[in-house]
Amino acid sequence: MPTLVLENLGKKFSDHVVASSVNMSIDDGEFISILGPSGCGKTTVLRMIAGLIEPSSGRILVGGKDITNLPPNARNIGMVFQSYALFPHMTVWENVAFGLRRKGVTGKDLGRKVDEALESVRLTGLGQRKPRELSGGQQQRVAIARSISPQPSILLFDEPLSNLDAALRDDMQIELRRIQREVGITTLFVTHDQTEAMSMSDRVCVMANGVVQQFASPEDIYHQPASSFVAGFIGRPNRVRCESTTTPDGARVVSLGRRTKIQFDQSESNSGNGVVDLIIRQEDIELSTDGGSLGGTNVVSAPATVSMRSFIGSKVQYLVDLEGAELLVTTPTNGPCAQLDVGASIFCGLKQDQIFLDDQRVVA
Amino acid sequence: MKSDRLGSIALAAVAFFVVAFLQLPIIVVLLAAISETSYLTIPPKGLTLHWFSVVLNDVDYLAATWTSLWLALLSTLAAAAVGVMAALMIHRKLLPGAQLLSSLFMAPMILPSIVLGVALLHYFAALGIRGSSLGLILAHTVLIVPYVIRASLSGLQSIDGSLTDAARVLGAGPIETFRLVVLPLLKPALVAGGLLAFVTSLDNVPVSIFLLGANQTTLPVKIFASVEQGVDPSVAAASTLLILLTGAALVIAERWTGFHKHV
Amino acid sequence: MNRLSSSGVALSAPLSLLLLLVFLVPLALLFPISLQPFQDGAAGSGLTLGNYSELVTDSFLRSVVVETLLLGLVVTLVCLVLGYPLAYYIVQATPRMRLALTLLVIFPMLLNVVVRSFGWIALLANRGLVNNLLRDIGITDAPIRMLFNHFSVLVGLVHVFLPFMVLMLIPAIQAIPKDVQNAAYTLAATRRRVLWSVTLPMSMPGILSGSILVFVLSISALVTPRMLGGGSYKVMATLIYDDFLQTLNWQAGAAMAFALTGMTMVLVFLSSKLLNKFGGNE
Repeated sequence: MPTLVLENLGKKFSDHVVASSVNMSIDDGEFISILGPSGCGKTTVLRMIAGLIEPSSGRILVGGKDITNLPPNARNIGMVFQSYALFPHMTVWENVAFGLRRKGVTGKDLGRKVDEALESVRLTGLGQRKPRELSGGQQQRVAIARSISPQPSILLFDEPLSNLDAALRDDMQIELRRIQREVGITTLFVTHDQTEAMSMSDRVCVMANGVVQQFASPEDIYHQPASSFVAGFIGRPNRVRCESTTTPDGARVVSLGRRTKIQFDQSESNSGNGVVDLIIRQEDIELSTDGGSLGGTNVVSAPATVSMRSFIGSKVQYLVDLEGAELLVTTPTNGPCAQLDVGASIFCGLKQDQIFLDDQRVVA
Repeated sequence: MKSDRLGSIALAAVAFFVVAFLQLPIIVVLLAAISETSYLTIPPKGLTLHWFSVVLNDVDYLAATWTSLWLALLSTLAAAAVGVMAALMIHRKLLPGAQLLSSLFMAPMILPSIVLGVALLHYFAALGIRGSSLGLILAHTVLIVPYVIRASLSGLQSIDGSLTDAARVLGAGPIETFRLVVLPLLKPALVAGGLLAFVTSLDNVPVSIFLLGANQTTLPVKIFASVEQGVDPSVAAASTLLILLTGAALVIAERWTGFHKHV
Repeated sequence: MNRLSSSGVALSAPLSLLLLLVFLVPLALLFPISLQPFQDGAAGSGLTLGNYSELVTDSFLRSVVVETLLLGLVVTLVCLVLGYPLAYYIVQATPRMRLALTLLVIFPMLLNVVVRSFGWIALLANRGLVNNLLRDIGITDAPIRMLFNHFSVLVGLVHVFLPFMVLMLIPAIQAIPKDVQNAAYTLAATRRRVLWSVTLPMSMPGILSGSILVFVLSISALVTPRMLGGGSYKVMATLIYDDFLQTLNWQAGAAMAFALTGMTMVLVFLSSKLLNKFGGNE
């Protein structure tokens, strides 16, 4: 049976819906990220699971048991907060012991479990320090130790790495994953950083405007985005405003710059005259100096001129001009098109199934 | 600019004059308390601690001091208990009319205390409990609660909200969370509010003077009354004792917790 | 939260109960007393507005009310005139000086009003420090009457409330952005001009709230006017005191008390309205 099930979970404040129809089923030991821009509802969902916010609708089941109406202290869930929330007037040891004590663990048992928790985060020996005497990374680990020591069934993280500097963040991502795997605990991790979510998780839940956009493995999210929002949020997408017209037989024609027209079946999103945002990832555009060599069915060949070139290290990035539209394209440094000059004529190969159209122009 | 220079000097002069003016009567009281003569001169005609011993051996003064102290202590404790609870409710907006209730709780500060004094005099007389100690304590509590509430709210606001969230998620119930997490962190603010409340009660005349029983008096009321009979250096000594009591309370509180930010 | 939180009720109940029983009810019960007539040394029957109308019609009472208000006004003005320069100086002083001066301003506030008044008595009495000094130096022969008159009450009240004024002015002056003042310097070129045209107007919210606070406190003062004005000096508060404890005319005393309360409430209300209006002018 799945460890955590969210059934139609929703939260609404007098006039304004923060989350709606959130459905998720999470299995034992999975590491799930909830990813989305600020205000998308991800933290609200997390806090509803913890019991800190009361849902307006829906249920939460842990191990098959409905916990929706239980107060937070009865849920046996662990949570790591963005500010770590370490009790400043207690030592590290007392912080980690807090949850255990509430469960009635005392004496030798208590000592052993606290030491184990500290060991799993590699902070043995720092028990007598006060939180203010520790570095950011150490405080982070104490927060983790404190939340796992009472052996909860689920572990929640609320953007725990946003306060750390870049290098420490990378290290902590690996650390966190290691701890999680060692302890084997089902984990939900909220973040707005897609690299973080994609690199750490078994599955990613992308949210926007209070609604789940897609809940799938990182690969599926990347290669098969379920909505134009997801397509525009993941990876390094281009977003170009283009004109769109409808042909008599219902097909849709989008003009990318003055020289390229792309035709889509009427099944591709709502057709309509006017403007539409065209989304394609920088890394999905193939470059070629010879238009004919862009192979494959459903590949549009768009002529363009190079207007800028940047050397990024492992990749080269071009800004190309399609007369009325601009695209950023990245190509490997060792590839055939890495040495193009500004002003050079080029062809961009765009795979039709990697192009997404956004009529609502939902900007991430 | 010449006029600016002159202006600066004038400004500094006024500022220091005003500050000196503010300290003047205090110095005079201290001087009077140790002067041998019952009238004051500069320099004093002789120094003595005689007046202190007069006061400290005077049964009436001692009784008045004792009354002031237990009254201030008990009403401060009551105000602390009741005030912290109210502050918690206001801070977490647990009731829909929290802001309105907050204004009501602070009302005793706006009302002239003499009006409260006479209203309570009439009330206690009507109830037949005029001069009761309990009534006096309750009156002082009402008077000083706003200081506790104000300081508590300031303290509560400086506590990171996620601390109570964390405690709850870790298994602590609401009362446990308050006892283990909020209260220890609220200590400096509580001490600040409590101190201000204590001193306000200690110094109060406009309420106490109407509610004291026949054989009861507090130190400030006694000094107030005895001045009508003429200036006597023992009054200065008693005043000095009051100054020292206040100062001691301040120092103890500051030492115990660095509380100056919550006043 | 739509339903009434039980913990919210539990937390505010004790104080609410206390305020109800020991604050609101007593005030409500006193009010009818103010409407009772006072005849031949005792409460009469029936209701009357006489006690209130007397405050305006009776020449003695009217003069007491007017004097109280005038006293309040003068005290407020003096506090403003003395307090503003001090506040201004503190704001632009070095941090150490600022801390020292602020402590010296706060310290007297913590002392009992009774003690402070006593200090002024010792200073201003006929055989007090000032007179003794003047006589010793040879400036005067007979003592100057400085106590138990308007002068001593004024000095005493200013001394008590000046710190309040200063503490309210300091944040108001501090809030004026430095670059606004600097910009004004380049245009106006003298310190005095800047003070008049920029600093004073922009610290108006503080001036107003400080003034209203001092005024309200001054007109309600009991101890200082009584001690420094003597038994025959009358302000509203001392009149109330006499009514309740001396002549036992609780009816008149209650009316005076509510009149005082009414004035206070109106002023506090006005002050919050004015502050809202001025606060937006940043």
